[in-house]
Amino acid sequence: MQVYLPIAEMSVDALLLLGIGFGVGWLSGMFGVGGGFLLTPILILIGIPSPVAVASGANQTLGASVSGLIAQWRKGNVDLKMGGVLLAGGFTGSFLGVQLFAWLRRQGQVDLAVSIFYVVVLGSVGALMVRESVRAILRRRQKGAKPKRLHAHFWMHGLPFKMRFRKSRLYISVIPPLLVGFSIGVLSAVMGVGGGFMLVPAMIYLLGMPTSVVIGTSLFQVVFVAANVTVLQAVSTGSVDIVLTLLLLIGGVAGAQFGAAMGTRLRGEETRALLGAMVLAVALSLLWGLVATPESAFVIGPLP
Amino acid sequence: MRRIAGALGLLLAALLPAAAPAQPAPPPAAPTVFEELALAPPPGRPAILPPAPTAPLLVQSPPLLPDAPAPLLPALPPPPAPVPTPAAPVLDAPAAATPRPALVAELSQARVEITTGFTGTELLVFGATDRLIGPQPSAGHGDDVLIVAQNAPQPMVVRRKIRVLGFWINGPSARFRSVPGVYLLTGTRPLREMLSADERTTKRLGLENLPLDSTGIQDPSYRQALLQLKQDAHLWWEADTPLRIAGARLFSARLPLPATVQTGDYRVEVMLVRDGRVLARQELGFRVERVGTAASIADVARQEPLVYGLICILLAAFAGWMGSVLFRRS
Repeated sequence: MQVYLPIAEMSVDALLLLGIGFGVGWLSGMFGVGGGFLLTPILILIGIPSPVAVASGANQTLGASVSGLIAQWRKGNVDLKMGGVLLAGGFTGSFLGVQLFAWLRRQGQVDLAVSIFYVVVLGSVGALMVRESVRAILRRRQKGAKPKRLHAHFWMHGLPFKMRFRKSRLYISVIPPLLVGFSIGVLSAVMGVGGGFMLVPAMIYLLGMPTSVVIGTSLFQVVFVAANVTVLQAVSTGSVDIVLTLLLLIGGVAGAQFGAAMGTRLRGEETRALLGAMVLAVALSLLWGLVATPESAFVIGPLP
Repeated sequence: MRRIAGALGLLLAALLPAAAPAQPAPPPAAPTVFEELALAPPPGRPAILPPAPTAPLLVQSPPLLPDAPAPLLPALPPPPAPVPTPAAPVLDAPAAATPRPALVAELSQARVEITTGFTGTELLVFGATDRLIGPQPSAGHGDDVLIVAQNAPQPMVVRRKIRVLGFWINGPSARFRSVPGVYLLTGTRPLREMLSADERTTKRLGLENLPLDSTGIQDPSYRQALLQLKQDAHLWWEADTPLRIAGARLFSARLPLPATVQTGDYRVEVMLVRDGRVLARQELGFRVERVGTAASIADVARQEPLVYGLICILLAAFAGWMGSVLFRRS
């Protein structure tokens, strides 16, 4: 069943979009991430122009994360104070990111930039996640391992402007969360992702937040940054396709519920290892797209 | 506030056809006027040859003068009788007063509507000539008909991909100032056989002769790539099969418009070719427009980007929340 996308100015199979939404939603529900990092590359792969895929991907991430946020909020797993600090950085970052995106579009390098961003970010995050979780699994198997320290102290903890985050049981400088929020904001704008897949590890390993509040707080940040990116993209590049977004969302929210039910049965380390492997796989496939000889040596486009 | 509410209403309306697959797509170009006429010959005038009953009607009815503005047929679906049927067959009167036009042509529709279910369509160009057209069994080849449809040219950039450190990136570029977004050409014979090289060049007919001036890198391969990629996208097309001829005087051609066709005004030139030269031409036009929800969404997005962005947020959040309520498994 073909449907015409008014902003992308092309028609695609609605069932295909619903299916993609369902699959990505299922995975994202299982791992508690927005799934934007999978969605945007897949959309580009099926021929949606990069700007539309990125902008609509951000919009979809927003919708997909709302239900998760509501659920986490009910359980009291959202650290509002930490979320607010992250958000302050996130808004600044997404604002600059959208400017960067519009500039890249004028240069005709948007596809390249989006792919490189994906390869670098997903590659490093995926590798780190896999390494860490495999280590954790191995450590668990070794009997009589050393008891883990709550968190290690390093240079970050010497920074000024310390603040107490009660829910996260942390007393740290606001600079690291601000920086984390800022970089997620930039990535969100350029890659069309919510940034949950990066935010979660950054919160656990960098900020040292307890896992219980990580998911809820990251969803809080993702929802609002994605909302900000949606508006900014709509204004500066006009490439948010609401029909595309809604089709993906319909599949996505259904899939997410099934995925979430399954995710509760997986152990933390295994989940992280799987998620890491998936992130790595996406990075490798995009890397292949950059390295493989293109079908046509030329590309055409409207004069920006 | 009212404007926001109105726009929200439009978008909500947009959601429905997108979500409900059962909505029937509007009939594309068919049924065409041509076939209508052929199917139903006027009473009292028996069909002589199966494909050609409309020939006398089209050739002799005076309202179809070549220079008259295209009698805009109301947009399909309801295809009314397009040609005002003369009460009595007009056989002598107009022919005696004015010379009979060498060529008359018409389009099946003056508007192509892009709806939410649009997947491309075909536009029928049909008409008749005074003298015989197409291959003749007795005397070689008759006159030829050539049809060219295109829209307003726009600037485009062609970039060559180069390899840097093993990565393929967009490298040097050539800018083409005026590139027709769509260029469709068909005729009774391949263009090369119909017109001399001189005539093709001066009249700028055919994909090879498009006036593509470029700035930036000067290299014929860029132009070649543009030609190739546009044809791959089905936006430029030179028919490899001849158009349909009936009764050696009637012609009809279907111009394929892909789903990616741009909106705007299109010009269709129908030319009569004899002995390698263009003898008569008639210009027709049609318009490609988004209609319904697709149009509303695109309009809101272009005119009120901020409002549109906010609506997108609300709709996405609402859909996400609805989904979690509907599919909750607890």
